[in-house]
Amino acid sequence: MADVLTICGSLRKGSYNAILQRALPDLAPAGMRFSAAPSFASIPLYNADIQNTTGFPAEVNALADAIRAADGVIIISPEYNFSIPGGLKNAIDWVSRLQNQPFAGKPIALQSASPGPVGGARVQYDLRRAMVFLDAFTLNKPEIFVGGCASKFDEKTGELKDEATRNFIKQQLVAFAAFIGRIAGKA
Amino acid sequence: MGDSQVQVVTICGSLRKASFNAALQRALPSLAPPGISIKPAPAWADIPIYNHDIQDAGWPAPVTAWADAIRAADGVIIVSPEYNWTIPGGLKNAIDWTSRMKNDPFKGKAVAIQSCAGGLLGGARMQYHLRQSLTSVEAVMLIRPEVFVTFAAKKFDEKTLELTDQPTKDMVKLQLEAFEKFVRKQTGKIAPAAQ
Repeated sequence: MADVLTICGSLRKGSYNAILQRALPDLAPAGMRFSAAPSFASIPLYNADIQNTTGFPAEVNALADAIRAADGVIIISPEYNFSIPGGLKNAIDWVSRLQNQPFAGKPIALQSASPGPVGGARVQYDLRRAMVFLDAFTLNKPEIFVGGCASKFDEKTGELKDEATRNFIKQQLVAFAAFIGRIAGKA
Repeated sequence: MGDSQVQVVTICGSLRKASFNAALQRALPSLAPPGISIKPAPAWADIPIYNHDIQDAGWPAPVTAWADAIRAADGVIIVSPEYNWTIPGGLKNAIDWTSRMKNDPFKGKAVAIQSCAGGLLGGARMQYHLRQSLTSVEAVMLIRPEVFVTFAAKKFDEKTLELTDQPTKDMVKLQLEAFEKFVRKQTGKIAPAAQ
């Protein structure tokens, strides 16, 4: 059994990326178990003085523990201003300062949904760069860019209905399961 | 001088009190040509993590204050460390907030970028990502000279955090001179000598 932690880069309740995050268990191969990461909404903005005086905030430790406990992490995020949402990056900045940095050696997969034609490609490549610095192992392919996303979700139920998108995601999750196994030395 | 002076606000990407970038930010007024007035923008420390649902309930006051200061300025200088090969999340969060405003303060704004870092790249990766994000908000960025303060610990006084390294001071001066001209070109604000 592979335990996969999902992190959503948007805090908006009606977020397409959050819908995508919730759709993953249905699309996953057998042997993958999902849990959503604790929210980064209440993590303070990074300040080394906080770290050095009162220590790491509880929310940072909770997120880091969840990442450490997982066999793999899937980050599903919108793109803000051609790059990573500040709130998500802030959470990564915090955990990057921990000893036993939780992303080190961790298998990571990326997904993004966006209303535009590029489907969040820029957030993904910027995340890949940050993940290189953090010594994470990011799955190369298949990539998941859900472009023109408004038409791919049911407006009322919020369900991911686009069959082609569902199939792409299934393929990525199969590849990610194998990738996790390979990195863990199980396959 | 007065009205013909170029009004610049500075934004620091680090919240740490002893930050080298904050030290560089503090050094800027003394390195600036007489045609530029430089003051720090309000802190972004109290801006909440961006959430569209919060925005729908109303803009947080620290976002509005930050945006107003940027709007009122002729130019902006961002002085920031690099975190994990890119923009500090907190700084990016502030930009994410203002980018949602109808009257985005960065749109058409003249911006210069500086960074200090402990290593030999001096924050270059942060700067190019910041350029990418500021392109999205249609800021107008100074291209050269670039300011990368490498091995920052050697360039500031250990105790006072004063910028002591002369080549760094010279490099920053050159950028500030170029930025004054750039801002004047963007804003049409005429230099006193030409009036």
